[in-house]
Parts: sequence; structure tokens; C-alpha cells
Amino acid sequence: MKEYGQKVRLVIKFYPYKYRDFARISAGAALAAYDQGKFWEMHRLLLKRSPKLDQTNLIKYAKEIGLDADKFRESLDTRKNDGIIERDVKLALSLDLYNTPTFFINGRRVIGDVPYEYLKKIVVEELNAAKK
Amino acid sequence: MQRRNSLLSLIFAAFLFGVSPAAMAGHLEPFKLVPVSDVNPQTPDKIELGKKLFFDRRLSGDGTMSCATCHIPDLAFTDGQEISFSYPTTKNWRNAPTLINVAFFRNLFHDGRVTSLEDQALFPVMSSFEMNLNLDYLEEKLRVVPEYVEAFGKIFGGAITRERVAMAIASFERTLVSVNAPIDRYLKGDKSALSADAIKGYEIFTGKGKCIECHYGVNLSDDKFHALNIQENPDHQKDPKITATRRFVAKVYHYEDYANLSEDPGRYLITKDIKDWKAFRTPTLREVAKTAPYMHNGILATLDEVIDFFDRGGGQGNTAIKPINLNTEEKKYLKVFLVEALSGEDLKLTYPVIP
Repeated sequence: MKEYGQKVRLVIKFYPYKYRDFARISAGAALAAYDQGKFWEMHRLLLKRSPKLDQTNLIKYAKEIGLDADKFRESLDTRKNDGIIERDVKLALSLDLYNTPTFFINGRRVIGDVPYEYLKKIVVEELNAAKK
Repeated sequence: MQRRNSLLSLIFAAFLFGVSPAAMAGHLEPFKLVPVSDVNPQTPDKIELGKKLFFDRRLSGDGTMSCATCHIPDLAFTDGQEISFSYPTTKNWRNAPTLINVAFFRNLFHDGRVTSLEDQALFPVMSSFEMNLNLDYLEEKLRVVPEYVEAFGKIFGGAITRERVAMAIASFERTLVSVNAPIDRYLKGDKSALSADAIKGYEIFTGKGKCIECHYGVNLSDDKFHALNIQENPDHQKDPKITATRRFVAKVYHYEDYANLSEDPGRYLITKDIKDWKAFRTPTLREVAKTAPYMHNGILATLDEVIDFFDRGGGQGNTAIKPINLNTEEKKYLKVFLVEALSGEDLKLTYPVIP
């Protein structure tokens, strides 16, 4: 994003892995942070602190990045954003996705935690194609 | 559906291992029956079970990786990386080979360390730098999944065992085939199946280019090992995690000086025969347009680089091949042949629902 600025747009969809104990609540935590304008801060922290992603720890992280902890807890307790997660899971299933992360770059599917250079090559190809 | 049925009938029309690839030397052959093990007959239920296991991330130690992590259907069952994806915190040291037409090989892995898909299937599962799952634990992880218990009972008439897991995965892998490529139609007599440029490329492939000497038969592979002295990737040689993996594998295969090993000994690790030093199995060329990067360490990024490598006579000091000296046009035709003639129908995979 830093490199290509306005030329690219990143859309994140949630596909919590069903065998991971805290995948679902972590998606909820990211969305609760989004509601308070700090999605990326929470996103980065979730990756950094994994696998310690139980509710107690998530609330700790929310405080660490300056979120309103009561609102954050309420969001998790009431599963406020479950509808968004469900919608995304349905989308993932309809696309036969079996792996996270999976990227779609202008429709080109890239499966797995591929190196940055691999993604960059495709982004460049797509930007060039878009110019034509 | 029609294609699925025709594939299944191909699979059921099993023949036993017994045809020597050497008998086919010098010729390409159109696709034909898939070899099937007589001790592991194909059935639709077993293939379906194998497919579920292939995509199930339970088969890795931390539950993040399945066979499909490194064998991605979109990429002809490779992963598009120089060296294959690795278990978290580790690094692999070799490129993920395609599983397309893997049933035709008798020597599996780049170094041919096993000779049946049933023996092959569990290697990556238990490998420390691949899926890293203890096989006793694998059995117990699957035995608590009622759908798997029922499926194994129905298909094998008994409990879930590692051997049966391997048999199911092997059955699924035997369905991963490249069929009805232009080369198949051409070899069966349809001379319009290849473009004029591809036909010129075919003539180079089978003539001046001498590709046919090792890439022959249905699978365009002699299933043998050749020391082409493919260059090492200096970045990989320096990488501490890859170094750990290289030394680990060498130690497991009783290579005495494993602690100082800075290159990939290839087949030598298995045979300890000096002629096999840095020798690797000839890969299939079916679907080769989709399996970049190339060679056992992914050092060649494109087919152009591969053609150049062979054209200049392979790696430094090798005695297996000699310079070919193709001109620019000839190289172009050869590439057209590889891309156009050897790309079969899309394998329409129905993705399984994992229990």
C-alpha cells in the first residue's frame, strides 16, 4: 500500500479457521477495533500476540492501543459484528477457499502466505494491464 | 460430469506396474491408462476421502497446512515458489514438484527416495520442515472426527491407521492427470491439433534439441536421475534456516559430513553412489507452463531460462548433456511447443467439505 498508494485498494474479508480456538473472537476483536477507528492497530497486534488471543488478553490489547475497553468488551459479548463475519465466511465457501491467506488481485487468485515480491509482480502486471 | 466419468473409467481401467519406460525411449505417447497399485484399488469413496484428507489442515502439527498448501490446484499442484512453503519457523530446501501425472512415476520426490504413492504420502506430513505432525498423533486427531471414523470403516472395513490415510491420499493423487492436451490429439493423428510454430517446436524437441532423450513416453519423463549440475542459489546456501534443513536431511540419510554440507547432494543422499551426486529425477513436462519456477531448487524462473540452461549444455562441469546451440527462432518454437502442446484440459476439481 505504501508503494502504490492510490493505485491499489485493499479489501479484507474474514475467514476464521474453525479449528483455531480464538480465530472467531479475534475476527470480532478486529471488527470491534474497526468500530473505534483502530482496525490496523488491532490487526497488527493480533498477528504479533498470536496464539494468546483469548478474551481476557484481547481486552488487554484493546486497552494497550487506547480503545474504549467497555465498548470493546460489549461488542465481543454481544457478538455485534457476527453478521459481517458470517457473510464473509459464506463468500469464502462459495469461492471454494481452503486456505488463509488467499488473495484476489484483480480477480487473480493467489493462495498462501507468499513472499512480498511474488505479490508485487502480480500487482505490477495488473497495474500495467489496467493502463492499456 | 462427462469428464469426471471418463476420468473415473480411466482410473478403474487399472494396469499393474510392469511396462519399462526404457521401452518407450525416443517417443512421445498420448495419454493412456493411469497405473494403479494392485494392493490399493481405486474406488470413488476412497478417492473422495483422499481428497478430504489432502485439503485437511489437521494433517499438520499446528493445523495451518494441508497437502494443498504446497500443491495448489490452480498452479498444477505446485506452489509457485522457488522452494516450497514450509512449516512455520522453518524453511524447506526444495521446490514443490507438480502432482500432475504423479501416478506415472515409480520414483517419487526429486531424489526418488520412495517408489509408491502410498509410501510417499506420509513423508511431508511427518517432515519437521513441512507439515510436522507426529503420525501417532495424526491417527488420534482423525479418530475423534466421527465423519472420518465412519468413512474409513466403510471404505477399509476398519479403524483409521496411518497406512490407510496414505492409501486414500494416494488414490486421490492418482486422479490428478493432464488429459486431452494438444500433443495427445496430435499424436493420435489430428495434425491440426498443433499450430505451425508448435510443430516446429515439436521437431526441435524430438530432434536437434534432444529433449526427447530424457523427456519421453506418456509422461515426458524417463523417471531416471541425471546430474545436470544445476547451480545452487547463493541466497539459499547462506540462509540459516535452509542450512539447518539441508544438514538435517543429510544427517537423517547418514551423510557423514552433514555439518559442513553447503549444497544439495540430490540422489546421492539416497544411494551413496558418486554418479548420483547432485542428480535429480527428470520431471514430467505435462502442464509445464504452470509449474514455474523450475528445477529442484526453483533457480530458473521461466521456461526461457530453462531452455537457455539446456542450450548452453547444463550446469558447469556436468557430463550429462552438451551444448545444443539453438538459434533464437528455434528457442521460440520450442517454448511454443512446451506451452501450447503440453497443456491439457483444466482439471475441474470439486473442493471437498472438510468434516
